[in-house]
Amino acid sequence: MIVRFEPWGAWVKLESMPALVGLDQAGVRALGLDGGAAWGPDSPPSFPVEVHMAVTGRCAAGCEGCYLDARPDGLEPTQSTLLARLDALRDAGVFTVAFGGGEPTTREDLAFLADEARRRGLTPVLTTSGLGLSREKVARLRAFAQVNVSYDGAGEDYAAVRGFDGSRAAEGAIRALVAEGIRVGVNVVLTQGTFAQLGATLRRARTLGATEAQLLRYKPAGRAATLDYLARRLRPDQAASVGPVLRALALEHGATPGEFRIRIDCAMVPFLSADPEIAAAPERLLRMGVFGCEAAEALAAVKVDGKVAPCSFAAATQLDAAELAAGHAHDPELGRWRAYNRAPSEPCASCGLRPVCKGGCKVVASFIDHAHGPDPECPRVRAYRAETGDRERDTR
Amino acid sequence: MSDARRPLSPEVIRVVRLGHGANCSSIGSIIDTLFVTALAGGAVFAAICAALDDEPVRVVGATPEGPNDESDEEEPGS
Repeated sequence: MIVRFEPWGAWVKLESMPALVGLDQAGVRALGLDGGAAWGPDSPPSFPVEVHMAVTGRCAAGCEGCYLDARPDGLEPTQSTLLARLDALRDAGVFTVAFGGGEPTTREDLAFLADEARRRGLTPVLTTSGLGLSREKVARLRAFAQVNVSYDGAGEDYAAVRGFDGSRAAEGAIRALVAEGIRVGVNVVLTQGTFAQLGATLRRARTLGATEAQLLRYKPAGRAATLDYLARRLRPDQAASVGPVLRALALEHGATPGEFRIRIDCAMVPFLSADPEIAAAPERLLRMGVFGCEAAEALAAVKVDGKVAPCSFAAATQLDAAELAAGHAHDPELGRWRAYNRAPSEPCASCGLRPVCKGGCKVVASFIDHAHGPDPECPRVRAYRAETGDRERDTR
Repeated sequence: MSDARRPLSPEVIRVVRLGHGANCSSIGSIIDTLFVTALAGGAVFAAICAALDDEPVRVVGATPEGPNDESDEEEPGS
């Protein structure tokens, strides 16, 4: 196991099973360890446990909602540059590095980079569109602990999210990766046009051999930061139904043989505030490791130019990845994100889910409200604003 | 290093995040474990404790004194 001391105890990454465990100080002592200065009153903010690293800005897919605005002629860091960034992640004690882009599989040195990540004690994972994934490229992905394929549904559903139907290529990629013995998940972006088909999409993905589905909220970043976002985001009734939908999906897939896990992204957590059973037990969510907005905390992103960002959707800070270990605690922009999460405004301040949710998606708040504030699409925030007459500020 | 290693109980576990996750844009969390029975949930924690008791320990990460504090602390069962 890999242990990283924290002010409250330690993060422990197990190596015999895919799990990250937070132990309190008594638990760490039971391992025969002591946190020493890391448990003192002046301990700095925690480093990220997971970093999303753009290994290329190149992609020919042209998805309408690409958060990076990746293009065929995008920036591509050299191999030595990326190795230096992996060094920096190792020095900060990061556990997982998620390779993204652009389309990372366009890099011929991908297997080498994954091996180098592992050599540094990092667990490498990867996201791909699956487009153009030849047998040779699939073989390069064996070094990754898991590969997620973007799969928003079959045919029209895929096209409704990305602007073209790449579902056959994605399905072929899932099959090819599974045949290669690679653990495969699917990323499913939820829009108001595809939400109703979510159950069918997951059943299809499972049939193809995927073992996990990550449900992603559509976010107004990159090419998706347009007025069209308002027509694609989940409707209020859909957002409020996320809890019951997840419960039904968990029951369906937990009741049939074979592992198929359901995962939600950080930006989906605010939607759980509309589910009374879930909202009443935030301690359960915390203990089962559900992460809301962990931007600048458990999560960081390294943009393709090497600058660190609170998350992949947020603007980059001035901090260079090479300075992550020395600068993470002191960067003013990262500090601003952390400070807000510690003391959000109402209605988040009085919300029981706040320790988990941490105020929801600030990228959405910045786009809709032009403010680093409560998530305007959270059902609880909507209700609060309806009550107080403070309406969503769609001014664009 | 402090005292000798002792078996862990589920009470010392603050958080369990299962799975690797492989999304490159937003951090994800397994959600289906929220809906399992208490028995199944207990089995998860029991498996975690067993792994914690068995695996060798390696300490990583930056400290207030400086980065790259990596050390092999002990072998399993010692």
